[in-house]
Amino acid sequence: MLRLSHLVVVATILLLSSLIMTAAASSDYGEQIFERNLNVGEGVEIEHSITIEVVDTTEDIVDSAEFCISSPRAFARTVKVFMGDMPTKYETYNGACIYLDVISVHDETVLLMVTGPKGWRVTRYYEAEDAKTESESESAAETVSVPELVITRTLDRNHVEQGETVGVTFKIKNTGNGTASEIKLDEPLLREAYQENCPSNLDDIAAGATERVSYDLKIINTPPGTYELGATLLNCKDESGAAYSFESLSNTLKVTVKDVQVPTLEIGITIESDDNTMICGERFPVTIGIMNTGNATSGRVTIKSHLPDDVRVADGEIDPVYESIKPGDYVEHEVMMIAYEPGKHVIKMDALWADDEVSASAEFWAEQSSLATYYPHILAAVPIGLLLVGIIRRHKEYSY
Amino acid sequence: MLNILVLGLGQCGNRILDSINSEAFGGNGMFAKYYSNQKFPASVKTIAINTAINDLKGLKCTLAKDRFHVPHLHGVGANRTLGKKVFEDNKELIMGEIDKRGSFDLIFIITSTAGGSGSSFAPRLVEELKAAYNAQIVCIAVLPFREEGSISLQNTAFCIKELIEEKPNGILLVDNQYLKKYAGDIKSAYDKINETTARRLLFLIEALNSEMLMVTDLGDLKTVMNGGVGIGTMGFYESDNGNTVKSTILGSFKPSGLLFPANVYTEGARAMLIIKGNKKYLDLDMINKTIEELSTEVGQVFKGVLVKKGPAKVLSLFTLNSIPELDSLYASAADAIRTEKVKREESKKQLDNAFACIEELEPIY
Repeated sequence: MLRLSHLVVVATILLLSSLIMTAAASSDYGEQIFERNLNVGEGVEIEHSITIEVVDTTEDIVDSAEFCISSPRAFARTVKVFMGDMPTKYETYNGACIYLDVISVHDETVLLMVTGPKGWRVTRYYEAEDAKTESESESAAETVSVPELVITRTLDRNHVEQGETVGVTFKIKNTGNGTASEIKLDEPLLREAYQENCPSNLDDIAAGATERVSYDLKIINTPPGTYELGATLLNCKDESGAAYSFESLSNTLKVTVKDVQVPTLEIGITIESDDNTMICGERFPVTIGIMNTGNATSGRVTIKSHLPDDVRVADGEIDPVYESIKPGDYVEHEVMMIAYEPGKHVIKMDALWADDEVSASAEFWAEQSSLATYYPHILAAVPIGLLLVGIIRRHKEYSY
Repeated sequence: MLNILVLGLGQCGNRILDSINSEAFGGNGMFAKYYSNQKFPASVKTIAINTAINDLKGLKCTLAKDRFHVPHLHGVGANRTLGKKVFEDNKELIMGEIDKRGSFDLIFIITSTAGGSGSSFAPRLVEELKAAYNAQIVCIAVLPFREEGSISLQNTAFCIKELIEEKPNGILLVDNQYLKKYAGDIKSAYDKINETTARRLLFLIEALNSEMLMVTDLGDLKTVMNGGVGIGTMGFYESDNGNTVKSTILGSFKPSGLLFPANVYTEGARAMLIIKGNKKYLDLDMINKTIEELSTEVGQVFKGVLVKKGPAKVLSLFTLNSIPELDSLYASAADAIRTEKVKREESKKQLDNAFACIEELEPIY
């Protein structure tokens, strides 16, 4: 009984001291690479190069465990690490060091913590052949590794114009403890866009490893607008063949259309009249205005008129040629016209430039002058008047 | 072309002149002046001269500029003495008005012998015109109705006497008393006389100014007018198409065609015959033969043949050796003057006797 209580006290002290030492080791002996229970015969591979295999465990006043450590170009070495002792250092051929610290020992199981260079990860857990034979079912459950892929999709721009290309990069990190294999990348399509060199199958990604994959998303005729790129789906399997699925976050992409530099002309006809009614035979002004509402300077603009037979130009140039019209500029020309016949008349004007043209039309009514209705009377009155004048003149000549 | 001046003096002269102007319109009525132009057969200038403005206003076809009113007068009241004084006072004005028309080859002075202005102006005007122009002057003197009164008769008597004394180239008489047979009433008679006189004068002017088949001219006129006592008249006849030219010529000698009653065959001194018409009616041999026959009776007969459209027309112009009708007229005029004188003396005596009643008396109020 005394011995048991004495052992408990010593164990507690050792445990506390080991915890304190562990905390110190975490900072003095690099970053934690892993901390895990390992049975005798099991091993762990770090960075595909260093293997640590549990050879034996000893429960005593001070528990200990014996490990076989090997690395490329270095002899395998067996070290015994006491619980509560300072972490045991192992240096590789190229000078990198790892530290082994036994946290606890229980039967043939040791809780081992390994620290070392930053970023080092366990690349494999394995079971020694002799160990497998002894207890295959138990060890199999203990060596199952699971890949955990974290996929981050990055677009090199969030705003793109039609015809441009967006660079898409996937950063895939396996945060699990198993290698992801048979990785299939399912990238959603964007309407009227083309995914150039977008891989559908990826190489295996070991636990802790990070892969970067890129492709070009060519925006061909995607209508302008804001699109949400759906999540990228990664399907993979672990070493045991179990399937896993991971997906990224969605992205937003705004597509716009490039401004096309073209002149756009508008033509208008203004007939200066209160009620669009003219008097036959009388002149009236007509203004033809052309405005460039486009975003480019037009080339030569030719104005072509289409006048009714009984409407003629009395004064002014009705079909001028403009060498160019700048964007936003307005040009106009005024002509005097005469309608000779009563009724409805339609004036049509075309503005022709480069490969395009625009038309405008205006209509007006022409009426006979109210005076015209009296023409017969006037025609009759003129000779009568002249006759009267002659008679009066004669009368005066012969009046005394 | 002959330059002819026609002067119408006094009311009668004015009206005949107006008829001449009317005939120059073609005889198309009073409205012809509004649509037609005067066409004289020569260069004819007309002036109507009067002291009575109302007479001038009454003219229809005479241009206003051709009407001359002797200023500040309303007629001379048939007083030739006053008329002569007025002429003397306004002689410069009258002659100036005539002078505006240029120079003349022949001047006709148309006047009534019975009125005041015309009968008093005419002799004086002959004198002035003779002095101013080297032109033949023919007076057309219109004799009054005999019943017009003693003043008309005495004015006629003295007017003709003074006219002859001034020795114009000739005096052609137109006798209203003789011609009133043309119409029933005085107004119509006057119009007809004026129209007839006008037509014959224009016929004469046309003949004198035209190229004729047989020529008579202004010299012949002068010779004719110098015949006899220098007084004559005109006859006229227009044939039916069936008439021979001889009968037409002889028709113009008939008293019915004359403007003054005369027996041409016995009283005629010289004559001028102007025959106008279509050539087919103008048998020259017959004309010559007829003229020869007439010459044995009338004396010298000048002839002119004018070929124009229409039937044969003959204007005959005579001067007379004796004028019985004028003798009768002068006798009447003398009687009228004497009677007037007696009446006036009796009236004066009667008035003197009446005044004698209040002689040496004073009005008492």
